[in-house]
Amino acid sequence: MKSSAIRHGPGKLWRWPATLAILTTFGLLSALLGQGGLWWVLSWIALAIPLVVAVVCFQRQQRPVVAAMKITQTLNGSGP
Amino acid sequence: MTRAALRRWFWVHKWASLICTAFLLIICITGLPLIFRDEIGNWLDDSLPYAAAAEDAPAISLDRIAATARRMYPGQVIGNMFIDDDEPKIMVAMAPSWAAYNADRASAHWIKFDAHTGAVLKQSKSFGSDGHSFLDIMLSLHRDLFAGLAGELFMGLMALLFIIAIVSGVVVYAPFMRRLDFGTVRTDRSSRLKWLDLHNLTGIILLAWMLVVGTTGVINELSTPLFGLWQMTDVKALLAPLHGKPVPAESELSSPQAAFDTVKAALPDMTANSVVFPGSPFGSPYHYLVWTKGRQPLTARLFSPVLVDARSGKLVSIVKMPWYLRGLEVSRPLHFGDYGGMPLKIVWALFDLVTIAVLGSGLYLWTSRRTSPLAEAEAELVASHAAGPVAGSR
Repeated sequence: MKSSAIRHGPGKLWRWPATLAILTTFGLLSALLGQGGLWWVLSWIALAIPLVVAVVCFQRQQRPVVAAMKITQTLNGSGP
Repeated sequence: MTRAALRRWFWVHKWASLICTAFLLIICITGLPLIFRDEIGNWLDDSLPYAAAAEDAPAISLDRIAATARRMYPGQVIGNMFIDDDEPKIMVAMAPSWAAYNADRASAHWIKFDAHTGAVLKQSKSFGSDGHSFLDIMLSLHRDLFAGLAGELFMGLMALLFIIAIVSGVVVYAPFMRRLDFGTVRTDRSSRLKWLDLHNLTGIILLAWMLVVGTTGVINELSTPLFGLWQMTDVKALLAPLHGKPVPAESELSSPQAAFDTVKAALPDMTANSVVFPGSPFGSPYHYLVWTKGRQPLTARLFSPVLVDARSGKLVSIVKMPWYLRGLEVSRPLHFGDYGGMPLKIVWALFDLVTIAVLGSGLYLWTSRRTSPLAEAEAELVASHAAGPVAGSR
Protein backbone atom coordinates (compact mmCIF):
# COMPACT_ATOMS: atom_id res chain seq x y z
CA MET A 1 0.00 0.00 0.00
CA LYS A 2 1.16 3.50 -0.78
CA SER A 3 0.78 6.52 1.42
CA SER A 4 -1.81 8.79 -0.09
CA ALA A 5 -0.10 12.10 0.69
CA ILE A 6 1.64 14.22 -1.93
CA ARG A 7 5.06 12.72 -2.41
CA HIS A 8 7.96 14.26 -4.20
CA GLY A 9 9.51 12.02 -6.80
CA PRO A 10 13.27 11.39 -6.65
CA GLY A 11 13.85 14.20 -9.15
CA LYS A 12 12.25 16.86 -7.00
CA LEU A 13 13.58 15.39 -3.76
CA TRP A 14 17.23 15.24 -4.83
CA ARG A 15 17.44 18.23 -7.14
CA TRP A 16 18.84 20.63 -4.54
CA PRO A 17 21.01 18.17 -2.59
CA ALA A 18 22.57 16.87 -5.82
CA THR A 19 23.19 20.40 -7.16
CA LEU A 20 24.88 21.45 -3.92
CA ALA A 21 26.99 18.28 -3.83
CA ILE A 22 28.16 18.84 -7.41
CA LEU A 23 28.95 22.51 -6.68
CA THR A 24 30.93 21.52 -3.58
CA THR A 25 32.88 18.87 -5.48
CA PHE A 26 33.63 21.31 -8.28
CA GLY A 27 34.76 23.93 -5.76
CA LEU A 28 37.05 21.52 -3.94
CA LEU A 29 38.68 20.29 -7.14
CA SER A 30 38.95 23.55 -9.09
CA ALA A 31 41.25 25.11 -6.47
CA LEU A 32 43.32 21.92 -6.28
CA LEU A 33 43.66 21.15 -9.99
CA GLY A 34 43.39 24.66 -11.45
CA GLN A 35 46.39 26.98 -11.73
CA GLY A 36 45.26 29.56 -9.18
CA GLY A 37 43.71 32.82 -10.43
CA LEU A 38 40.29 32.29 -11.97
CA TRP A 39 40.05 28.68 -10.72
CA TRP A 40 40.44 29.84 -7.14
CA VAL A 41 37.73 32.47 -7.56
CA LEU A 42 35.40 29.87 -9.12
CA SER A 43 36.17 27.58 -6.18
CA TRP A 44 35.30 30.27 -3.63
CA ILE A 45 32.02 31.06 -5.40
CA ALA A 46 31.04 27.40 -5.78
CA LEU A 47 31.74 26.69 -2.11
CA ALA A 48 29.99 29.84 -0.90
CA ILE A 49 26.70 28.83 -2.57
CA PRO A 50 25.87 26.00 -0.09
CA LEU A 51 26.47 28.46 2.76
CA VAL A 52 24.20 31.05 1.14
CA VAL A 53 21.51 28.38 0.63
CA ALA A 54 21.74 27.44 4.32
CA VAL A 55 21.30 31.06 5.39
CA VAL A 56 18.36 31.62 2.98
CA CYS A 57 16.57 28.46 4.17
CA PHE A 58 17.15 29.43 7.77
CA GLN A 59 15.54 32.83 7.23
CA ARG A 60 12.69 31.80 4.96
CA GLN A 61 10.78 29.31 7.02
CA GLN A 62 7.60 27.60 5.95
CA ARG A 63 4.36 29.39 6.69
CA PRO A 64 2.88 28.01 9.92
CA VAL A 65 -0.64 27.23 8.61
CA VAL A 66 0.54 25.05 5.76
CA ALA A 67 2.95 23.18 8.02
CA ALA A 68 0.31 22.61 10.68
CA MET A 69 -2.13 21.27 8.11
CA LYS A 70 0.38 18.86 6.69
CA ILE A 71 1.29 17.43 10.06
CA THR A 72 -2.30 17.15 11.29
CA GLN A 73 -3.29 15.37 8.14
CA THR A 74 -0.41 13.01 8.39
CA LEU A 75 -1.01 12.18 12.02
CA ASN A 76 -4.67 11.48 11.23
CA GLY A 77 -3.57 9.11 8.57
CA SER A 78 -5.66 10.93 5.99
CA GLY A 79 -3.32 12.83 3.77
CA PRO A 80 -4.61 15.39 1.29
CA MET B 1 12.01 1.39 1.03
CA THR B 2 10.22 -0.94 3.39
CA ARG B 3 9.50 0.13 6.91
CA ALA B 4 11.83 -2.54 8.28
CA ALA B 5 14.67 -1.33 6.04
CA LEU B 6 14.11 2.28 7.10
CA ARG B 7 14.20 1.29 10.75
CA ARG B 8 17.45 -0.58 10.21
CA TRP B 9 19.04 2.40 8.43
CA PHE B 10 17.76 4.70 11.15
CA TRP B 11 19.28 2.41 13.77
CA VAL B 12 22.64 2.56 11.94
CA HIS B 13 22.43 6.36 11.69
CA LYS B 14 21.57 6.74 15.36
CA TRP B 15 24.27 4.49 16.77
CA ALA B 16 27.09 5.38 14.36
CA SER B 17 26.40 9.05 15.18
CA LEU B 18 26.05 8.60 18.93
CA ILE B 19 29.36 6.74 19.25
CA CYS B 20 31.37 9.26 17.24
CA THR B 21 29.65 12.55 18.13
CA ALA B 22 31.65 13.44 21.24
CA PHE B 23 34.94 12.77 19.43
CA LEU B 24 33.74 14.53 16.29
CA LEU B 25 32.93 17.60 18.38
CA ILE B 26 36.51 17.56 19.73
CA ILE B 27 37.78 17.17 16.17
CA CYS B 28 35.63 20.05 14.85
CA ILE B 29 36.52 22.43 17.68
CA THR B 30 40.27 21.73 17.60
CA GLY B 31 40.19 21.69 13.80
CA LEU B 32 39.02 25.29 13.72
CA PRO B 33 42.33 26.88 14.85
CA LEU B 34 44.26 24.28 12.83
CA ILE B 35 42.74 25.66 9.61
CA PHE B 36 44.64 28.88 10.38
CA ARG B 37 47.74 27.24 11.80
CA ASP B 38 50.14 29.09 9.51
CA GLU B 39 48.67 32.45 10.51
CA ILE B 40 48.48 31.57 14.22
CA GLY B 41 51.96 30.02 14.14
CA ASN B 42 53.44 33.18 12.62
CA TRP B 43 51.55 35.35 15.07
CA LEU B 44 52.79 33.38 18.11
CA ASP B 45 56.32 33.09 16.70
CA ASP B 46 58.80 35.00 18.86
CA SER B 47 61.92 34.40 16.75
CA LEU B 48 64.23 37.19 15.73
CA PRO B 49 63.24 38.93 12.49
CA TYR B 50 64.77 37.96 9.16
CA ALA B 51 67.61 40.10 7.89
CA ALA B 52 66.54 42.49 5.16
CA ALA B 53 67.57 40.94 1.85
CA ALA B 54 66.53 41.04 -1.79
CA GLU B 55 64.03 38.37 -2.91
CA ASP B 56 66.62 36.69 -5.09
CA ALA B 57 69.57 37.06 -2.74
CA PRO B 58 71.59 33.84 -2.68
CA ALA B 59 70.91 31.43 0.18
CA ILE B 60 73.73 30.55 2.50
CA SER B 61 75.46 27.16 1.98
CA LEU B 62 73.94 24.26 3.91
CA ASP B 63 77.52 23.22 4.72
CA ARG B 64 78.03 26.41 6.73
CA ILE B 65 74.70 25.91 8.50
CA ALA B 66 75.69 22.32 9.35
CA ALA B 67 79.06 23.47 10.67
CA THR B 68 77.43 26.15 12.84
CA ALA B 69 74.92 23.66 14.22
CA ARG B 70 77.66 21.14 15.06
CA ARG B 71 79.72 23.89 16.70
CA MET B 72 76.74 24.90 18.83
CA TYR B 73 76.09 21.31 19.92
CA PRO B 74 79.38 19.36 19.77
CA GLY B 75 78.89 15.60 19.54
CA GLN B 76 75.26 15.83 18.53
CA VAL B 77 73.84 14.51 15.25
CA ILE B 78 71.91 16.44 12.61
CA GLY B 79 68.62 14.73 11.75
CA ASN B 80 67.50 16.87 8.86
CA MET B 81 67.54 20.32 7.34
CA PHE B 82 64.37 21.92 6.07
CA ILE B 83 64.73 24.72 3.53
CA ASP B 84 61.46 26.66 3.48
CA ASP B 85 60.20 27.91 0.13
CA ASP B 86 57.84 30.49 1.66
CA GLU B 87 60.15 32.19 4.11
CA PRO B 88 63.94 32.69 4.12
CA LYS B 89 64.52 30.18 6.89
CA ILE B 90 66.42 26.94 7.33
CA MET B 91 65.36 24.65 10.15
CA VAL B 92 67.90 22.17 11.49
CA ALA B 93 66.74 19.28 13.65
CA MET B 94 69.34 17.77 16.01
CA ALA B 95 69.48 15.01 18.63
CA PRO B 96 72.07 13.98 21.26
CA SER B 97 72.68 10.76 19.28
CA TRP B 98 70.75 8.38 17.03
CA ALA B 99 70.42 5.92 19.91
CA ALA B 100 68.96 8.61 22.17
CA TYR B 101 66.64 9.77 19.40
CA ASN B 102 65.39 6.27 18.62
CA ALA B 103 64.76 5.65 22.32
CA ASP B 104 62.98 8.96 22.81
CA ARG B 105 61.88 11.16 19.93
CA ALA B 106 61.36 14.01 22.41
CA SER B 107 65.15 14.26 22.82
CA ALA B 108 65.31 16.10 19.49
CA HIS B 109 65.45 19.87 19.24
CA TRP B 110 65.71 22.42 16.43
CA ILE B 111 67.51 25.59 15.44
CA LYS B 112 66.05 28.19 13.08
CA PHE B 113 68.55 29.96 10.83
CA ASP B 114 68.21 32.96 8.54
CA ALA B 115 68.62 31.51 5.05
CA HIS B 116 70.55 34.59 3.83
CA THR B 117 72.87 35.41 6.70
CA GLY B 118 73.04 32.12 8.57
CA ALA B 119 72.18 33.91 11.83
CA VAL B 120 70.42 31.89 14.52
CA LEU B 121 66.86 33.26 14.83
CA LYS B 122 65.46 30.86 17.40
CA GLN B 123 66.17 27.56 19.11
CA SER B 124 63.91 25.12 20.84
CA LYS B 125 64.75 23.25 23.98
CA SER B 126 64.36 19.52 23.60
CA PHE B 127 60.77 18.73 22.60
CA GLY B 128 60.13 17.14 25.99
CA SER B 129 61.16 20.12 28.12
CA ASP B 130 59.81 22.85 25.89
CA GLY B 131 56.19 22.15 26.78
CA HIS B 132 53.43 22.05 24.21
CA SER B 133 52.52 25.07 22.16
CA PHE B 134 48.84 25.95 21.64
CA LEU B 135 48.89 24.51 18.13
CA ASP B 136 50.64 21.31 19.34
CA ILE B 137 47.83 20.77 21.83
CA MET B 138 45.15 21.41 19.22
CA LEU B 139 46.84 19.07 16.74
CA SER B 140 47.30 16.30 19.28
CA LEU B 141 43.68 16.50 20.44
CA HIS B 142 42.57 16.56 16.82
CA ARG B 143 44.73 13.69 15.62
CA ASP B 144 45.39 11.28 18.48
CA LEU B 145 44.16 12.60 21.87
CA PHE B 146 47.81 12.49 23.07
CA ALA B 147 47.77 8.69 22.62
CA GLY B 148 50.18 8.25 19.71
CA LEU B 149 49.48 5.57 17.13
CA ALA B 150 46.66 3.99 19.18
CA GLY B 151 44.97 7.39 19.34
CA GLU B 152 45.42 7.92 15.59
CA LEU B 153 43.77 4.59 14.82
CA PHE B 154 40.99 5.28 17.32
CA MET B 155 40.23 8.72 15.86
CA GLY B 156 40.42 7.14 12.38
CA LEU B 157 37.76 4.68 13.50
CA MET B 158 35.62 7.55 14.79
CA ALA B 159 35.98 9.27 11.41
CA LEU B 160 34.91 6.01 9.75
CA LEU B 161 31.78 5.95 11.95
CA PHE B 162 31.20 9.58 10.91
CA ILE B 163 31.22 8.48 7.24
CA ILE B 164 28.77 5.66 8.06
CA ALA B 165 26.57 8.21 9.85
CA ILE B 166 26.64 10.50 6.80
CA VAL B 167 25.75 7.71 4.35
CA SER B 168 22.96 6.34 6.55
CA GLY B 169 21.79 9.90 7.12
CA VAL B 170 21.41 10.40 3.38
CA VAL B 171 19.39 7.16 3.15
CA VAL B 172 16.94 8.26 5.86
CA TYR B 173 16.80 11.81 4.45
CA ALA B 174 14.54 10.73 1.59
CA PRO B 175 11.60 9.37 3.62
CA PHE B 176 11.79 12.36 5.97
CA MET B 177 11.64 14.83 3.12
CA ARG B 178 9.21 13.08 0.80
CA ARG B 179 6.39 15.50 1.55
CA LEU B 180 8.47 18.58 2.36
CA ASP B 181 10.03 21.07 0.01
CA PHE B 182 13.81 21.39 0.18
CA GLY B 183 14.87 23.74 2.91
CA THR B 184 11.65 23.59 4.91
CA VAL B 185 12.12 24.53 8.57
CA ARG B 186 8.92 24.04 10.57
CA THR B 187 9.10 26.41 13.51
CA ASP B 188 5.47 26.34 14.56
CA ARG B 189 5.05 22.90 16.14
CA SER B 190 7.74 21.89 18.56
CA SER B 191 11.35 22.81 19.00
CA ARG B 192 12.13 19.17 18.34
CA LEU B 193 10.53 19.30 14.92
CA LYS B 194 12.38 22.53 14.15
CA TRP B 195 15.70 20.98 15.10
CA LEU B 196 14.90 17.86 13.10
CA ASP B 197 14.38 20.04 10.02
CA LEU B 198 17.55 22.03 10.73
CA HIS B 199 19.51 18.79 11.21
CA ASN B 200 18.26 17.41 7.90
CA LEU B 201 18.86 20.70 6.10
CA THR B 202 22.39 21.41 7.35
CA GLY B 203 23.37 17.76 7.01
CA ILE B 204 22.28 17.49 3.38
CA ILE B 205 23.79 20.87 2.42
CA LEU B 206 27.16 19.86 3.84
CA LEU B 207 26.98 16.27 2.57
CA ALA B 208 29.78 16.41 -0.01
CA TRP B 209 32.19 18.45 2.12
CA MET B 210 31.69 16.28 5.21
CA LEU B 211 32.24 13.13 3.13
CA VAL B 212 35.45 14.52 1.62
CA VAL B 213 36.88 15.79 4.93
CA GLY B 214 35.77 12.61 6.76
CA THR B 215 37.30 10.29 4.18
CA THR B 216 40.56 12.22 3.91
CA GLY B 217 40.61 12.30 7.73
CA VAL B 218 40.53 8.50 7.85
CA ILE B 219 43.33 8.32 5.25
CA ASN B 220 45.44 10.85 7.21
CA GLU B 221 45.02 8.82 10.41
CA LEU B 222 46.53 5.86 8.53
CA SER B 223 49.69 7.75 7.58
CA THR B 224 51.88 6.12 10.26
CA PRO B 225 51.06 2.51 9.21
CA LEU B 226 51.22 3.47 5.51
CA PHE B 227 54.72 4.96 5.86
CA GLY B 228 55.69 1.95 7.98
CA LEU B 229 54.50 -0.39 5.22
CA TRP B 230 56.54 1.56 2.66
CA GLN B 231 59.67 1.41 4.81
CA MET B 232 59.27 -2.33 5.41
CA THR B 233 58.77 -3.11 1.70
CA ASP B 234 60.09 -0.65 -0.92
CA VAL B 235 62.69 1.11 1.23
CA LYS B 236 63.98 -2.15 2.63
CA ALA B 237 64.32 -3.61 -0.87
CA LEU B 238 66.13 -0.45 -2.01
CA LEU B 239 68.67 -0.67 0.81
CA ALA B 240 69.01 -4.48 0.75
CA PRO B 241 72.17 -4.54 -1.44
CA LEU B 242 73.96 -2.36 1.15
CA HIS B 243 72.94 -4.48 4.12
CA GLY B 244 75.86 -5.17 6.46
CA LYS B 245 78.20 -2.65 4.81
CA PRO B 246 79.89 -0.20 7.19
CA VAL B 247 77.90 2.96 7.89
CA PRO B 248 79.72 6.22 7.03
CA ALA B 249 81.15 8.09 10.01
CA GLU B 250 80.43 11.78 10.37
CA SER B 251 83.95 12.64 9.22
CA GLU B 252 83.37 10.70 5.99
CA LEU B 253 80.16 12.52 5.04
CA SER B 254 80.11 14.41 1.76
CA SER B 255 78.72 17.94 1.62
CA PRO B 256 74.97 18.30 2.19
CA GLN B 257 74.93 21.39 -0.08
CA ALA B 258 76.56 19.35 -2.87
CA ALA B 259 73.93 16.61 -2.39
CA PHE B 260 71.23 19.27 -2.60
CA ASP B 261 72.72 20.77 -5.75
CA THR B 262 73.12 17.36 -7.40
CA VAL B 263 69.43 16.65 -6.88
CA LYS B 264 68.38 20.09 -8.13
CA ALA B 265 70.48 19.64 -11.27
CA ALA B 266 69.02 16.18 -11.90
CA LEU B 267 65.41 17.33 -11.38
CA PRO B 268 65.17 20.90 -12.74
CA ASP B 269 61.34 20.84 -12.70
CA MET B 270 61.19 20.01 -9.01
CA THR B 271 61.79 21.99 -5.82
CA ALA B 272 64.08 20.37 -3.27
CA ASN B 273 63.16 21.40 0.25
CA SER B 274 64.69 19.09 2.79
CA VAL B 275 67.72 16.88 3.39
CA VAL B 276 67.49 13.94 5.77
CA PHE B 277 70.95 13.10 7.07
CA PRO B 278 72.44 9.57 7.04
CA GLY B 279 71.49 7.57 10.11
CA SER B 280 68.05 9.13 10.65
CA PRO B 281 65.24 6.61 11.17
CA PHE B 282 63.42 8.62 8.49
CA GLY B 283 66.21 8.18 5.96
CA SER B 284 68.97 5.76 5.06
CA PRO B 285 72.20 4.84 6.92
CA TYR B 286 74.22 5.30 3.71
CA HIS B 287 72.58 8.23 1.93
CA TYR B 288 71.41 11.78 2.13
CA LEU B 289 67.70 11.62 1.40
CA VAL B 290 66.55 14.77 -0.40
CA TRP B 291 62.79 15.38 -0.57
CA THR B 292 61.61 17.06 -3.74
CA LYS B 293 58.18 18.22 -4.87
CA GLY B 294 56.51 19.68 -7.97
CA ARG B 295 55.68 23.32 -8.62
CA GLN B 296 51.97 23.21 -9.58
CA PRO B 297 49.26 23.42 -6.86
CA LEU B 298 48.68 19.66 -6.97
CA THR B 299 52.21 18.43 -7.73
CA ALA B 300 53.54 20.65 -4.92
CA ARG B 301 51.74 18.15 -2.65
CA LEU B 302 53.43 15.14 -4.27
CA PHE B 303 56.86 14.42 -2.83
CA SER B 304 59.60 12.27 -4.33
CA PRO B 305 62.62 11.23 -2.28
CA VAL B 306 66.03 11.15 -3.96
CA LEU B 307 68.95 9.17 -2.53
CA VAL B 308 72.47 10.60 -2.73
CA ASP B 309 75.46 8.51 -1.63
CA ALA B 310 76.66 10.06 1.63
CA ARG B 311 80.35 9.25 0.91
CA SER B 312 80.74 9.93 -2.81
CA GLY B 313 77.95 12.51 -3.18
CA LYS B 314 76.68 10.70 -6.31
CA LEU B 315 72.97 10.49 -7.10
CA VAL B 316 71.86 6.91 -6.46
CA SER B 317 68.14 6.73 -7.03
CA ILE B 318 64.99 8.78 -7.60
CA VAL B 319 62.49 6.78 -5.58
CA LYS B 320 59.01 6.22 -7.00
CA MET B 321 56.36 6.56 -4.33
CA PRO B 322 53.73 3.82 -4.11
CA TRP B 323 50.07 4.56 -4.97
CA TYR B 324 48.93 4.48 -1.34
CA LEU B 325 51.33 7.24 -0.32
CA ARG B 326 50.30 9.28 -3.39
CA GLY B 327 46.71 8.86 -2.19
CA LEU B 328 47.73 10.04 1.27
CA GLU B 329 49.49 13.08 -0.20
CA VAL B 330 46.46 14.08 -2.29
CA SER B 331 44.18 13.62 0.73
CA ARG B 332 46.13 16.13 2.82
CA PRO B 333 45.08 19.41 1.14
CA LEU B 334 41.50 18.15 0.82
CA HIS B 335 41.49 17.65 4.59
CA PHE B 336 43.41 20.80 5.62
CA GLY B 337 41.72 23.27 3.22
CA ASP B 338 45.01 25.12 2.81
CA TYR B 339 45.25 25.10 -0.98
CA GLY B 340 43.05 27.98 -2.13
CA GLY B 341 44.09 31.08 -0.25
CA MET B 342 42.45 32.75 2.72
CA PRO B 343 38.89 32.67 1.27
CA LEU B 344 39.07 28.86 1.11
CA LYS B 345 40.24 28.73 4.72
CA ILE B 346 37.28 30.90 5.73
CA VAL B 347 34.91 28.59 3.82
CA TRP B 348 36.52 25.66 5.65
CA ALA B 349 35.97 27.35 9.02
CA LEU B 350 32.31 28.14 8.22
CA PHE B 351 31.69 24.57 7.02
CA ASP B 352 33.32 23.36 10.24
CA LEU B 353 30.93 25.52 12.28
CA VAL B 354 27.92 24.20 10.34
CA THR B 355 29.19 20.65 10.99
CA ILE B 356 29.15 21.46 14.71
CA ALA B 357 25.50 22.51 14.22
CA VAL B 358 24.75 19.17 12.50
CA LEU B 359 26.35 17.28 15.39
CA GLY B 360 24.72 19.43 18.05
CA SER B 361 21.24 19.21 16.53
CA GLY B 362 21.60 15.44 16.18
CA LEU B 363 22.62 15.20 19.81
CA TYR B 364 19.63 17.36 20.82
CA LEU B 365 17.26 15.12 18.85
CA TRP B 366 18.54 12.14 20.77
CA THR B 367 18.55 13.69 24.24
CA SER B 368 15.04 15.14 23.77
CA ARG B 369 13.56 11.90 22.46
CA ARG B 370 11.54 11.05 25.59
CA THR B 371 10.75 14.49 26.92
CA SER B 372 8.84 15.62 23.87
CA PRO B 373 5.18 14.63 23.50
CA LEU B 374 5.66 14.77 19.76
CA ALA B 375 8.47 12.25 19.71
CA GLU B 376 6.23 9.24 19.44
CA ALA B 377 4.05 10.90 16.83
CA GLU B 378 7.09 11.72 14.77
CA ALA B 379 8.27 8.16 14.85
CA GLU B 380 4.91 7.25 13.33
CA LEU B 381 5.32 10.06 10.84
CA VAL B 382 8.61 8.62 9.74
CA ALA B 383 7.15 5.17 9.53
CA SER B 384 4.21 6.38 7.51
CA HIS B 385 6.54 8.03 5.07
CA ALA B 386 8.40 4.82 4.52
CA ALA B 387 5.53 2.63 3.48
CA GLY B 388 1.91 1.93 4.21
CA PRO B 389 -0.55 3.69 6.48
CA VAL B 390 0.10 4.80 10.03
CA ALA B 391 -1.86 1.91 11.51
CA GLY B 392 0.21 -0.61 13.36
CA SER B 393 2.59 0.08 16.20
CA ARG B 394 6.36 0.37 16.03
